[in-house]
Amino acid sequence: MSVAIETEGLTKRYGRKARGIEDVNLVVAPGEVFGFLGPNGAGKTTTIRMLLGFLRPTGGHARVFGLDVRRKSVEIRTRVGNLPGEFALEDRMTGEGLLRFFARLRGVGDLGYAHELAERLGADLRRPMRRLSRGNKQKIGLVQAMFHRPPLLILDEPTGGLDPLVQEEFLDIVEETKAEGRTVFFSSHVLSEVERVCDRVGIIRDGQLMTVEPTHALVDKAFRHVILTFDGPVDREPFEKLRGVENLKVEGPRVSLTLHETPDEMVKLAARHRLVSLEYERPTLEEIFLTYYGKTEVKEENNE
Amino acid sequence: MSEAALRKPTGTFLVLVSHTMRLQLKSVVIWGGVLGLYAAAIVASYLSFGDPEQMEQIMSAYPEGMLEAFGITDMSTIEGYLAGQVFNLIPLAIAFFPILVLSSAIAGSEERGTIDILLGNPIPRWQLVVGSFVATAASLLLIVAIMGGLMYGTAILTDIDLDFVASVESVVNLWPISIFFGGLALLCSAIFHRRALAIALPGFVLLAMYLADTLGRVSEDFENYRDFSVFYYYASDGSAITDGIDWAGFFEVSGAALLFALLAIVVFRRRDIYT
Repeated sequence: MSVAIETEGLTKRYGRKARGIEDVNLVVAPGEVFGFLGPNGAGKTTTIRMLLGFLRPTGGHARVFGLDVRRKSVEIRTRVGNLPGEFALEDRMTGEGLLRFFARLRGVGDLGYAHELAERLGADLRRPMRRLSRGNKQKIGLVQAMFHRPPLLILDEPTGGLDPLVQEEFLDIVEETKAEGRTVFFSSHVLSEVERVCDRVGIIRDGQLMTVEPTHALVDKAFRHVILTFDGPVDREPFEKLRGVENLKVEGPRVSLTLHETPDEMVKLAARHRLVSLEYERPTLEEIFLTYYGKTEVKEENNE
Repeated sequence: MSEAALRKPTGTFLVLVSHTMRLQLKSVVIWGGVLGLYAAAIVASYLSFGDPEQMEQIMSAYPEGMLEAFGITDMSTIEGYLAGQVFNLIPLAIAFFPILVLSSAIAGSEERGTIDILLGNPIPRWQLVVGSFVATAASLLLIVAIMGGLMYGTAILTDIDLDFVASVESVVNLWPISIFFGGLALLCSAIFHRRALAIALPGFVLLAMYLADTLGRVSEDFENYRDFSVFYYYASDGSAITDGIDWAGFFEVSGAALLFALLAIVVFRRRDIYT
């Protein structure tokens, strides 16, 4: 099997006015953890739902494990564990009841791994769904996606509503899934989790796939917000001359800027003064999206 | 994952049907209980009437057209009494069970957001349609059985001579007309993404057909409209409790319900699923 997911010119239009996705070409290799990133409304969920056969492509093709998403949707779903971005569970059922039902649908005889996942994620399988919080429903959603050990996990914003400890546990599970040679395709807003587990990322915006590249390249390329505080006022001009600097503000001893280059030159300049504090912040994914869209936010410099 | 596990699972249809019926069980007991208690109350009320002659006198006080409109032809027997008081009107109520349930099968599931999780499993879309239809049809049979049981049981308890076969035929005859509207709701659920429409349209058709049949009974000018009403085939030669099931009508109406379900499969296979 050469690819897990492959799309060629995949397009979805919702009538004349509403945009879906346009000409998405994507390849996800087996055993890969692929992060699919984009702002709200970018087309992530549309792409995922087309892979599962919930939406019919307007144009192009998509295949999962070589199976056409239009004609072989049931076979594809045999091999996939899916967590939708927006979902609900039957109110009257318990998590245990839901898992038993899905196990019967999938021909899974043993719920041992399901219970193990539930325990690791802290999912309560005994209470009716209507009594569960959003986070607890999300945990059950994750368990139902993963309990049958599918070759491919397709997860739409899997950590939404989860507390940090559970998020960590989920990421551990993703790493274990990868170690087993299985594939994970998930959408996210959180740079840190993408950075931790993803081999490659694809960024989609306004329905178009902007780039696909190794995660470290994305992270390395990303700019940083820097705030330097010195023990006295500093001259603005040397900082203006630094390469890759934008949004420079010098207010007495405080210098803030956006740095698009490595920090070496900036640090050497800062070292000429007495530095009291240094804040070096990573951008949010939203800010990275804006950068790729070409509408980098430019804060107007104050002419002081 | 082993190759065996990657093969398309078999038996998903029966799993789906049994799961759906299990979810419907509480509703079945409530619907069957309520309708059955109504029928039981009508049976018990028959005791308040004296001899058959008294009944005939009461009937003669009403305009013949009005009695015909509501299918009241003979109140001198318990079967005739039930025909007018229960089985003429009860399809208007019982049909809403399959309408409400089957409108929820697709459109309702989309609106609630449960459909993605369910169809994330290897279930063909047609099984969701047919499974919902079959489960609801089976649940409907249970409802009429409960209703019939309460009705006949009350007759026994009150020592009213209600014919057993007539009782069975009367409740069984409720099945096709009810599942007809259920099938229509299922088709609407497949076409529209909104449950409200999948309820409103069959509900409107139900009432319109009842009106057409009623008008057709009372006025020769509207008699031809009865052909377009499923109520005509429900009781073309009189009520099933007095005259037996009209099997031709039974299978025609059932066939129409199946046709709606088949059309629902065709429609649902092709369209996008929205949540």
